Amino acid sequence: MTIPTEDLKLEIKKLIMTTLAIEDVNPDDVDDEKPLFGGDNALTLDSVDAIEIIMAIQRNYGIRIADQNLAREVVRSVNSIAQFITDQRANPTS
Amino acid sequence: MISRNFNHKMAAHCESGTITALLNHGGLQISEPLVFGISSGIFFGYFHKMKAFAFPTFIVRNKPGQMRTNLEKRIGVRFKTYDFKDPFKGQQLLDQLLLKDIPTAAQVDFFYMDYVPSWERVHINVHFLVVTGKADNKYTISDAYFPKMVELDASSLEKGRFAGGNMSPKGFIFHLDKLPAEIDYNKAITKGINKACFYMLSLPIPFIGIKGMRMFARKVVEWPKFARDTEHLSHEIMKINILLEDQGTGGAGFRFIYATFLQQAAELINKPQLKELSGELMKIGDGWREISLFSARIGKNRDLGPEKLKQLSEMISDRADVEERFFKTLSKAIK
Repeated sequence: MTIPTEDLKLEIKKLIMTTLAIEDVNPDDVDDEKPLFGGDNALTLDSVDAIEIIMAIQRNYGIRIADQNLAREVVRSVNSIAQFITDQRANPTS
Repeated sequence: MISRNFNHKMAAHCESGTITALLNHGGLQISEPLVFGISSGIFFGYFHKMKAFAFPTFIVRNKPGQMRTNLEKRIGVRFKTYDFKDPFKGQQLLDQLLLKDIPTAAQVDFFYMDYVPSWERVHINVHFLVVTGKADNKYTISDAYFPKMVELDASSLEKGRFAGGNMSPKGFIFHLDKLPAEIDYNKAITKGINKACFYMLSLPIPFIGIKGMRMFARKVVEWPKFARDTEHLSHEIMKINILLEDQGTGGAGFRFIYATFLQQAAELINKPQLKELSGELMKIGDGWREISLFSARIGKNRDLGPEKLKQLSEMISDRADVEERFFKTLSKAIK
């Protein structure tokens, strides 16, 4: 398993904030591991935001997350999104 | 009495996932997309005014139970089914089957499945899961929407199996009875695709298939007159996203799982055109996902003016156009 780079994690945070038009959060304040949904992260998102992120990942990285069971796991945190993108780049399945 | 060798797997959809799990357990290695496609799971129906629904709604898969019965006809597998009036008898038979180490699928009201966090539980009477064993008055459950095997109190399972209301489960259970000696996949896939194309293109009912999509596109602009207030309308518009994405559809209202079926079918019966059509359906699914996102967004923002609903209507109408072309091509490709 390839470890995601810090650059990719920062890119993901910026992508989330651009997609959701969030301007009042500093990417450095977003915890990589804490849940993005329903937790106490600097970014707290809802289910509509989740679809926005899934589609932004598809647009920016060309990776379609078709199954929502997988989607829930992928968009759990910045780390899980970064790991998914890294894995897909190494071994594309979609 | 716990089935120790039952292999739990998550699935895109509860019914196709449950059927696939029982078949895999019985020794037939078949994928969930193949089960979905052979049983003509893909569908569309729009219900503008029906007694069963308090508000206009739509469905994107065939009727619950049809995946099982269609699969029986097409691959020759047999399931044994039971329903009950008496909850005691319903539990008694289930326990007897589990004593014989027979994993048994049950239809339940999802609301009573208390291994799921309370905020995710809603009343849906047509949720399917596999009961694999029982110990200390708790059942072991393989629920395709859950990442691991779970336990459920006997009383909760009984409440779920005998819940009232529309499409009540009536204790319905089924298990694998007989696997076919061999499967003619060419015939099964051809029949499954032909029937799906018939439902989508030719069924002479104005609210089914492509006709149903067009009716949905025309009628969605009238939804405000059915709503009590903006809150209600926003809830119903956001439900479009739930029906397309969140209720175990495999994404984009089952379009992605059907695309995977076409890809697998292309290899299994050596029809490369099905693989091309699989790619096309994935793109069509992306358009449904855009509708999903658009609905969720305007619902969340309470931005539900006539212009937005017109835009939604046009997006749905566009899906009807591309799906009509798609299913016509698919219908020719499988001949």
